[in-house]
Amino acid sequence: MTAVVETEGLTKFYGRRRGLEDLDLEIRPGEVFGYLGPNGAGKTTTIRLLLDVIRPTRGRMSVLGMDPRDPAVRGRIGYLPGELALEGREKASEYLDFLGRARGGVPRERIAALAERLDADLSVPMGKLSKGNKQKVGLIQAFMHEPEFLILDEPTSGLDPLVQQEFLAMVREVRSGGRTVLMSSHVLAEVEHVSDRVGIVRSGRLVAVEDIAALREKAVRRVELHFDAPVPREAFENLPGVRDLKVEGAGVRCTIDGRPDALVKAAARFTVVHLVSAEPDLEEIFLTYYSESEEEGRHARAGVQEPA
Amino acid sequence: MPALVSKSLRDYRRSLIRWTIGIGAFFTLYLSIYPNISENKEIYGAQALAKYPGALRDLMGGMEDFTSGIGYLSSVVYQLFGPMLFVVCAMLLGNRAIAQPEEAGTLELTVTLPIDRRRLVFERFVALALGLLAVAAATFLLVWVLSAVSDMGVPADRILAAHTGVFLLGLFFGVLALTVGAATGRKGAAMAVVGVVAVGGYIVETMGKNVDWISWLRWISPFHYYLDGRPLHQGFPVGDYLVLAGATAVLLITAILAFDRRDVGV
Repeated sequence: MTAVVETEGLTKFYGRRRGLEDLDLEIRPGEVFGYLGPNGAGKTTTIRLLLDVIRPTRGRMSVLGMDPRDPAVRGRIGYLPGELALEGREKASEYLDFLGRARGGVPRERIAALAERLDADLSVPMGKLSKGNKQKVGLIQAFMHEPEFLILDEPTSGLDPLVQQEFLAMVREVRSGGRTVLMSSHVLAEVEHVSDRVGIVRSGRLVAVEDIAALREKAVRRVELHFDAPVPREAFENLPGVRDLKVEGAGVRCTIDGRPDALVKAAARFTVVHLVSAEPDLEEIFLTYYSESEEEGRHARAGVQEPA
Repeated sequence: MPALVSKSLRDYRRSLIRWTIGIGAFFTLYLSIYPNISENKEIYGAQALAKYPGALRDLMGGMEDFTSGIGYLSSVVYQLFGPMLFVVCAMLLGNRAIAQPEEAGTLELTVTLPIDRRRLVFERFVALALGLLAVAAATFLLVWVLSAVSDMGVPADRILAAHTGVFLLGLFFGVLALTVGAATGRKGAAMAVVGVVAVGGYIVETMGKNVDWISWLRWISPFHYYLDGRPLHQGFPVGDYLVLAGATAVLLITAILAFDRRDVGV
């Protein structure tokens, strides 16, 4: 199957300011791709390039196997802008009706069903909608024509937790229907539960693409074990992946990198009464990537005289 | 009707109604004082008006024959204020095609619809032309009725000829605003360009008749192709109107090409 998004050396400069440089990205059919990075890193630039809102300085890209310049591609995409502007006296329902007609017709019932799911009131003039309600209208228009490919720029911003959960459920449904999602965020926690892979972009460059499952495996986990009797420290020393070992009487505390297998097998020789393993903090690994790439950047810059 | 055209017209509806009322009120006001003027020929007659400085009279289109129906209508309604009201109305509508939604951020979602960029500009132009046509048609009917009521003795086809010119002139400036907006995305730039071309064009066309060193500039003034044919006196200046329409078409093509190749919302 051809990739949903394929870019090669995709670069965008705004005058002399770098928006994005040499992006090689592949998004596979049926996956949810989390696109992560701080504000201004190049997430929105990438998304706008894929939708032909802006044009690349150089590089190649294809979306759903087509050139993004072809307007027909956009008919197969649902898009939620990062800075969604809705204004005026027009009711949200009228605006959605227009967008539906421009997309070749969308059944009213589908719009109504989505509105009910997200608890959105479409009879309010758009200029009077709160940020969260605007975001709901944005989500409805992105999902309503059941596109093959959803591009969602910061989809959860402004949504209250309950609606966020509903939205994530909608994304899962899209994925189980074999459709593809690209969603950006600046917080990993927002996308980690639905994403198959995440790409991390920083200062206009893609610094990592990781499988969420692999990322979980790399995760640092804190584990606490309690036994029915004091255990010898030697039984847990020098186990692969075990760090920061603390043995106090019947309690063992440590951090593990990667798989907990060795620790579990070592503990199995004793009677375990209680086991606590904290959810891996992906945010932490995520930040590790950042600090690493930042250091690389610093090393690279050190050799070059910065222009004043 | 394509979705974008009907949507744009729906967006323009309120301002179209307001402009129709505003321009209609202006026409009504001036046409309702005509009987007063035609009865007081000694105040508004040729000799009285001759006291005005020549340059001022040029700027007001000569002000000849102020007390006849045609003279009054052409000096007061169709010379400066009528066209200028249409120009401003068209400029504001022209800005709502691209520049204003782009600055507000609402254009982003529109350009990501499966509509070709060139078609987007063209459909916004169609909405602008239809909206302006509605204002022109309503105000034409009003002038026609009022002139008949005030016994101005101006044939309807002459009023139609002048009103068509005002519409074409307005459309030209509306498309000028649309084009600057399509090329730059800035409504301030569009208003500046329209302002300079409209005011400069009007001065050049009127003063240029008696000031030799600027008279050649009249050929590039859009007002030349409306005023010079004296449509109220002489009927449709077909050639001149075709020049206006042609210039509008050239602007539109420029707008389509410029918008098709640039980044939106940066």
